[in-house]
Amino acid sequence: MSAMVKPLPVQEAYEDLLQRSLSRIPCDLGRLLYLASTRDYNTGTYHHDGLADRFSAKVARSALEIAHRMAFHRVAALSLEDLVRDLAAYLESSREDPKEFLRTWQRLEPYRIAIPMEVNPTVARLFASNVRLALAVLRLRRESRHSDP
Amino acid sequence: MGVWSALAGVIALFLVLLAWVRAEASSKDSHSDWDASPGEKDENVEACSEEIVSRIFSAEDLKFVSGIESPRLDRLFRRERTAVALHWVQESSAFISLIMRRHLEASRMRADLEIATEARIFAQYARLKLYCGILFVFIGFRKGWQARPYMLKNSCSASVTGCRSSN
Repeated sequence: MSAMVKPLPVQEAYEDLLQRSLSRIPCDLGRLLYLASTRDYNTGTYHHDGLADRFSAKVARSALEIAHRMAFHRVAALSLEDLVRDLAAYLESSREDPKEFLRTWQRLEPYRIAIPMEVNPTVARLFASNVRLALAVLRLRRESRHSDP
Repeated sequence: MGVWSALAGVIALFLVLLAWVRAEASSKDSHSDWDASPGEKDENVEACSEEIVSRIFSAEDLKFVSGIESPRLDRLFRRERTAVALHWVQESSAFISLIMRRHLEASRMRADLEIATEARIFAQYARLKLYCGILFVFIGFRKGWQARPYMLKNSCSASVTGCRSSN
């Protein structure tokens, strides 16, 4: 009898997602936003063409949902200092104008779409609050850099 | 003596109500307030992980913000963390009520109820609700979110375990 245990399809799909897509994204916040973007805003269901082709739509949905929840909890538990660093890395990878990026994120709060369904409300609040603080830190650093002679 | 006790009680109640109003006002984040019907919301209540509670009351984050030396950022940080901490206390209080409600529903079906056990569970419930009230006032007024609420956290865990085993 073989000692090898065959991984469950969802686990296999999750690992595939980690290796093929998520490993290419340089920061936790970027991975979280990527996973949130695979969710339909109207129905809350997840979809990923490549993953659905390799496995099945149902398995891909479950893997994406698990990955999203895990990525969210990881970011929500980051220290403020680490989150500031992560947000700075995301800003850099976006190649947008930092001033415009910070202004838009502070006004529109697009990071709210990254909150998964059925998440603990306190965790959701802590996440949004920490991103607000991280944005304020980056803006402050930018302002002080520009005001220095 | 009786008049003074009543007056102290009224003042304490007033402070709790004021703290509650302040918490609502300071909390700008309305996410999840309208996301579910009351019944559905109750069913979805789950306890916050220890890691997250530690993060809310993190001294490391406070040190990081203090190091930046910006009074504006410092104020924002204290306001944000106070709002999250107050929300956590409200959520914990709701969670304790939910456990008690479930316990009452389960005990209604049983014929072998023990008065002493029920009294002990009720005393534990009352004590936890009181801790929540004290913590709420403490955080709301003293902005003392950085004081780690071990008292409530440990008691909550003990209560959850106790209620589960008794059910």
